[in-house]
Amino acid sequence: MSTTTQTGKPTLLMAEDEEDTASLLRFLLERSGFQVLHAPDGRQAQQMIDTMKPPRLILLDVMLPHLSGLQLLTLIRKKPEWQEIPIIMLTADSSEHDIQLALSSGANDYMIKPFNPRELTARLNRLLKQAA
Amino acid sequence: MSAALPSTVLDNTGWLVTVAIHILIIILFTWTVIIRRLRIVTDRRRQAMVAVWRPILLESLIEAPASLPAIHPHDYILFLYLWNHLQESIKGESSSELCKILYQTGMDRVVHQYLVTGTMRQQLLALVTMGHLKETTAWTRILELAHADNAILSIEAARALTRIDASRAVPVLVPLIAQRPDWSPLKILAILQGAGEHLVAGAIGKAAQHATPMIAARLIRFLASIRNHRALPFIRPLLDRQPLDEDILASCLSLFGQCCDPRDLPTVRGYLSHPTWFIRVQAATALGKMGIDEDEALLIELLSDTHWWVRYRAAEALATLPSMTDEKLTLLVQTLPPGEGRHILTPFVAKRIEASLMTIPGETAA
Repeated sequence: MSTTTQTGKPTLLMAEDEEDTASLLRFLLERSGFQVLHAPDGRQAQQMIDTMKPPRLILLDVMLPHLSGLQLLTLIRKKPEWQEIPIIMLTADSSEHDIQLALSSGANDYMIKPFNPRELTARLNRLLKQAA
Repeated sequence: MSAALPSTVLDNTGWLVTVAIHILIIILFTWTVIIRRLRIVTDRRRQAMVAVWRPILLESLIEAPASLPAIHPHDYILFLYLWNHLQESIKGESSSELCKILYQTGMDRVVHQYLVTGTMRQQLLALVTMGHLKETTAWTRILELAHADNAILSIEAARALTRIDASRAVPVLVPLIAQRPDWSPLKILAILQGAGEHLVAGAIGKAAQHATPMIAARLIRFLASIRNHRALPFIRPLLDRQPLDEDILASCLSLFGQCCDPRDLPTVRGYLSHPTWFIRVQAATALGKMGIDEDEALLIELLSDTHWWVRYRAAEALATLPSMTDEKLTLLVQTLPPGEGRHILTPFVAKRIEASLMTIPGETAA
């Protein structure tokens, strides 16, 4: 069962190592009504995945220290309770291969950096509705 | 007396050296403390600045605030770093909202000043900022900087021009791209991609027709790297030239391979038997991207080429050929006579099978 906080806000797990990008994403996501749980690298994201209840949505950067977003994606999809959680991958402009690999490994959507903030929130909300 | 004097002199000298060393140590220690203190003050100032301005800048992505705090001249650079970083992270309407902040704070005037009289660091920052602002009033100055001897400064100016007005910038920049081997190819590719396929195709295609073979080949390689399909009608006539330069031919084959237009398939096949080995290499590589079933036999034949690189690229092309399957490839390795052809193909088969294992069953290999 995926989590919603006591305030009724849906939780979102965000794995992003770049501090400024993480601040930007946190701002946009909190403004869209999510409670954001931030993992600054792949290892911490893995620990959170192992210990926390499934969030409503997951946002994974492809390039992360220690454990890549694609490796995290594979781990997540192996956990029975997490299999249906919508995942959006964040990827750099030129990595077509990463996009194909992410989608074929179970990601629901992807965003290319730099991204349009309104498009990101629209995609998140669409996935949230689909999952509901 | 004569023996005592040198001893006294030596004692005095030793004392003086000791004092000098101690003074030097004290000066160095004090200097280190001062530097450290300055660093702490700067860091605190920086943190305070970021704490104030980051939320304002983020908020301005949605709507520019009505009133803004003043920016101390010491913080101009840091403010511009923050502003530009945010600009580089986003696109769409939010970018325009962020531009309003720069005008509201009067930083646009500072940026103009940096562009004219700033240090190199300030000029670079100003160029990036002007690009994001799409500030046409600075066009002439930025164009001057695009011709600067300094490669870092000039290519950043080129990027700014493209961001400001790509249709105006591309005709000016293509001759520069041709003449500047010191410009980073990766940065050139980023500029060309940002400028738009149609603008780049015409400008580079026409420039390649009139350039020297070395420059033409370089320009076509850029088109190949950005897979510019629209440039093909400009580039195909180059192959009719007599005598045909081999560097141009190799770069044209690379472009054909990247664009995968079936109309170029017969041309590519025709160069598989070219006397020059690197032309055969390019033809084999291109065929691996655009070939069909019947090209398998042509590539298998190249596995026994006299040149190692041709055999290697032919094996790679066979493994990447769109019509090729894991089963067909495995069978091919088993049926090839023992020798270098089989030896060279085996790692590509393994690589291909490994790639298909990485994908979820039922999905196509990436």
